[in-house]
Amino acid sequence: MNIIISGVGGQGTILASKILAAGAVLEGRNARTGETIGMSQRGGCVVSHVRTGNVHSAYIPAGKAELLLSFEIFEGARCIPQLKKGGQAIINTTVITPVSTTLGKNSLDVEKVKDYISQNSHAVFVDADSIAKKCGSVKASNTVLIGVAYGLGVLDLSRESLIQAIRDNVKPKFFDLNVKAFNAGVAACEGVENHEKHG
Amino acid sequence: MKEILLGNMAIALGAVHAGVKVVSGYPGTPSTEVLESVVQYNRDGRIQVEWSTNEKAALEIAAGASYCGARSMVTMKQVGLNVASDPLMSLGVIGTKGGMVVVVADDPGPISSQTEQDTRHFGKFANIPVLDPSSPEEAYEMAKYAFELSEKLKLPVILRPTTKVCHSSGTVETGGSIYEYEPEGFVKDPRWVIFPPLSYRRHLEIEKQQNEISELFDSLPFNRIEGEGEYGIAAGGVTYAIVKDIVEAFGLKVTLLKSGAVFPPPNGLYEEFLNRVQRVLVLEELDPVIEEQLYQVMAIRNLQRPISGKMNGFVTPAGELKFDNTLKIIEKFLGVEMSDTAVTPPMELPMRAPVLCAGCPHRASFYAVKKAMHGKKAVFCGDIGCYTLGNGKPLEMTDTCLCMGAGITIAQGIKKAEPDTYAFAFIGDSTFFASGMTGLANAVYNQTDINVIILDNSTTAMTGHQPHPGTGRTMMGTMTQKIDIYSVAKALNVGFVERLNPFDQEKSIETVKKAAEYEGVSVLIFEAPCITLIRPQTTFRIQNCTGCRKCLREIGCPAMSVRDNRVEINDALCYGCGLCVKVCPTGCIQQEVQS
Repeated sequence: MNIIISGVGGQGTILASKILAAGAVLEGRNARTGETIGMSQRGGCVVSHVRTGNVHSAYIPAGKAELLLSFEIFEGARCIPQLKKGGQAIINTTVITPVSTTLGKNSLDVEKVKDYISQNSHAVFVDADSIAKKCGSVKASNTVLIGVAYGLGVLDLSRESLIQAIRDNVKPKFFDLNVKAFNAGVAACEGVENHEKHG
Repeated sequence: MKEILLGNMAIALGAVHAGVKVVSGYPGTPSTEVLESVVQYNRDGRIQVEWSTNEKAALEIAAGASYCGARSMVTMKQVGLNVASDPLMSLGVIGTKGGMVVVVADDPGPISSQTEQDTRHFGKFANIPVLDPSSPEEAYEMAKYAFELSEKLKLPVILRPTTKVCHSSGTVETGGSIYEYEPEGFVKDPRWVIFPPLSYRRHLEIEKQQNEISELFDSLPFNRIEGEGEYGIAAGGVTYAIVKDIVEAFGLKVTLLKSGAVFPPPNGLYEEFLNRVQRVLVLEELDPVIEEQLYQVMAIRNLQRPISGKMNGFVTPAGELKFDNTLKIIEKFLGVEMSDTAVTPPMELPMRAPVLCAGCPHRASFYAVKKAMHGKKAVFCGDIGCYTLGNGKPLEMTDTCLCMGAGITIAQGIKKAEPDTYAFAFIGDSTFFASGMTGLANAVYNQTDINVIILDNSTTAMTGHQPHPGTGRTMMGTMTQKIDIYSVAKALNVGFVERLNPFDQEKSIETVKKAAEYEGVSVLIFEAPCITLIRPQTTFRIQNCTGCRKCLREIGCPAMSVRDNRVEINDALCYGCGLCVKVCPTGCIQQEVQS
């Protein structure tokens, strides 16, 4: 399986990719991830690639990802060409305005971006930041998004493997928070399913 | 047990399993996590690990340990090897005893570097073997093997991963055991003292040794020929992995040459490959190293095969080889179409360049100097670190950036050529210790009237918050005496030295003006911790904004944006630095009252 995770530097995309890859390894499969680490982390675009199964390179070819998890709506749109036609996109509705846009004359057209994502993918929009905040910290939005993906049935991983992967990859004091966030993500997508999943 | 490991962690684990006893380095993307991962594997403290002040120091420390028979490793990024090239060149002549591995990470793109230089050339330049991994799994194997090879050859060995090996992860078997041995210790011997007659004798030996290593590399598993067909593709590094994915995905009938132990070149294997194919495509990032090696074998063996690569313009000379552009090159080479035309076209979206974080003290420092020098003829020389981002709008306070420590000395050159200019140099605390002090001594000695601004945020921020000599902490987890930058400047006889809090804008602006007018070298140390070291103490909010946008135009804080023509502050990003309050002309930004 090929998964793209995108967002803005500092949002925690790397943890999400680690959890998904570690989950696959726990199930006896091989996995690879490709990360953005370095200067781009200072509020730039960050993209993680997660591939499970027997591939040689960690980086997913354009148009070959089955799933896109985005922590920010514009970065979700930027990665749509990575997704195969009709692939599943799970998009956090948070908007982070680039400084260059704030300084410029043009404002962001969120509706246009939403339309582009919806037209070119099987899209689900979730306010993962609000859900994570309710669970205790906005930083848990990554496990909320993983919960949504699991809840929609688009991950080829069991709940047990994902919970174990969370346990192995977060500090013990944040484990309960992240499990709560994961469960909240699963619960949120039950609501989404009726309205937007097949919309 | 199988685990997901980042390439850099895999290298660290390979070194730990090989029994490394001393590890030194200087942080630099994409190499940094190698040394940090060694620390994670070193809970019992059996390995001596340190961030050295710069790459030259780090390499010499690893060399000294090797002289004693201890296995040692030094880590750096490609431009770091430029700094360490002096000891490396001589060490290639003198040789080593305990296995010594020089990990140098290259950065095709470049993604986080000044240059796209290719460390494989350094192997050839210094007559040092180079291993070039194609995946984190192979990086683990190569790291382990590199120590054995170094000990066998009595030469240092370069392990040269690229960004997409360093920062990708693979599934690595992590249960290996640690190689146990007792280092012999330093044995006094003329072989450790480099003198011209010794260098001559060693040169003869080393050249002979190159042929032996080349033969050894012919049969290493890192170098191999796979598949068959008259079309041959030669690839190295992570590009091999991409080519392999393409060959398997499309069932291509090609002969694939993988070059992993790339210097000295496995000439016998290259000859066999050339004999098996009719035409050749060479795919490698950065410089055409494998390509030149193949041409050399053809010239010596009197073979003729058309080679498509960088040298005939078939392959792009710069930037990364990703799956999609590699596929297009292979299509052109084979004369078939394989690309998927169904890819969704991208939408035009605003750029998102990296910026100084909300609350970053560098923003306040830059702003104070900008205000102080408003209307004056001044040049602002920058350096390597987060503060290079001071070049962006709206601050625009970085006029030059060349390499580590260069800001201080470039400023001196500008002052000499243009004496009526106020020449400023900005440098971070870690960079100051790495390569700023000698430049500062030069300014004092040669009486060049420059103004040095040291941005002391108590960490090496850009590479992920490593300690340095000014922090009082070491990578062994111990506390140590802090080296005080103020005292260093004073000891170097700088006449005007002051410490400032950049968020005290009034005093900062006034002091910058004084420093600029002071005749002689001045040093201002702006002291305020990186936001990652502190918790936000408060946040601010805006009431009755008039929409003048002066705050945005002046400081460009990423926590501020505009909605309905009013500026608002994102409380999740605001660190409560309060710089915006000092900029707002109508006083509508207030501290959030904590409930």
